[in-house]
Amino acid sequence: MAVRTIEVRERVMARNDELAAQVRARLARHGVTAINLVSSPGAGKTTLLERTLGALGEELDIAVITGDVQTQNDADRLAVHTPRLVSAVVTGGACHLDALQVMTAINAIELERTRLLFIENVGNLVCPANWDLGEKEMIVLFAVTEGEDKPLKYPKMFENARRVVMTKTDLLPHVPFDMDRAVANALSVNPALDVLRVSALTGEGLGGWFDFLRDSARPVSTSG
Amino acid sequence: MSLAMEIGRIAEEKLGDAAPQLVTVAVDVGDSAGVEPSSLEFCLEAVFATPPFAGAKPHIVRCSGDVLRVAYLEIDDGRPDD
Repeated sequence: MAVRTIEVRERVMARNDELAAQVRARLARHGVTAINLVSSPGAGKTTLLERTLGALGEELDIAVITGDVQTQNDADRLAVHTPRLVSAVVTGGACHLDALQVMTAINAIELERTRLLFIENVGNLVCPANWDLGEKEMIVLFAVTEGEDKPLKYPKMFENARRVVMTKTDLLPHVPFDMDRAVANALSVNPALDVLRVSALTGEGLGGWFDFLRDSARPVSTSG
Repeated sequence: MSLAMEIGRIAEEKLGDAAPQLVTVAVDVGDSAGVEPSSLEFCLEAVFATPPFAGAKPHIVRCSGDVLRVAYLEIDDGRPDD
């Protein structure tokens, strides 16, 4: 047989990164701050968003894109807490959202009436780390029901994030979780990480989370 | 797996109707790319065993830095050897 070689030399993420840049530019034009929430399955992304929408949904004009492998259960849960659009992306088996899905989803969102956009990624600490969605910031949720060594096992996710939110802190008296060790592990991977501690159930620490979000959301433009 | 699927998309885009003739897909994986080469190889084998491909073999080329790119594709174009 005759084997022919075709030179490619194309970055695997090139197409997604180009689309992510377009998403980022479009959001910037509308003054929308996008936050990509990532975590293991069950770390509390949806519950934290429920509390956030309840407290700040109107104040910060929050919109949400949710990504789920199957079902739109998360979007249905969140829609109860806001009259604003919650856009559900069912990935159909894929373990992460990509920039094309986000670009498609924001077409259904009134960006001119949005200041803060949450992108609730698929629960997975591996694949979402590679996919830029056009967000301003990636935030990792890290539940106290997980192992303290998660940042060491999944370093890329913690390297790419700027903030880690320790969730379910109300369970600390009941689980053998060493918070100091977990935080030290996260900081060993990424010394620049900011760490928040919250319980969406009791409300502990949510004030700091809300203050961060208020700082992140740009003021609504009054021009024109 | 998502990276392997993206590599499959790139190969299909480059080859079009010639995708079934692909025999080797070479991928450069940097030591700081955040990718475990053996895991990627396993996933690539699964992707390239599925139509429109017909069992192409991955060839992982380890290199320095954070590079992750499709280096080259080899196809059997059916013509006899020169």
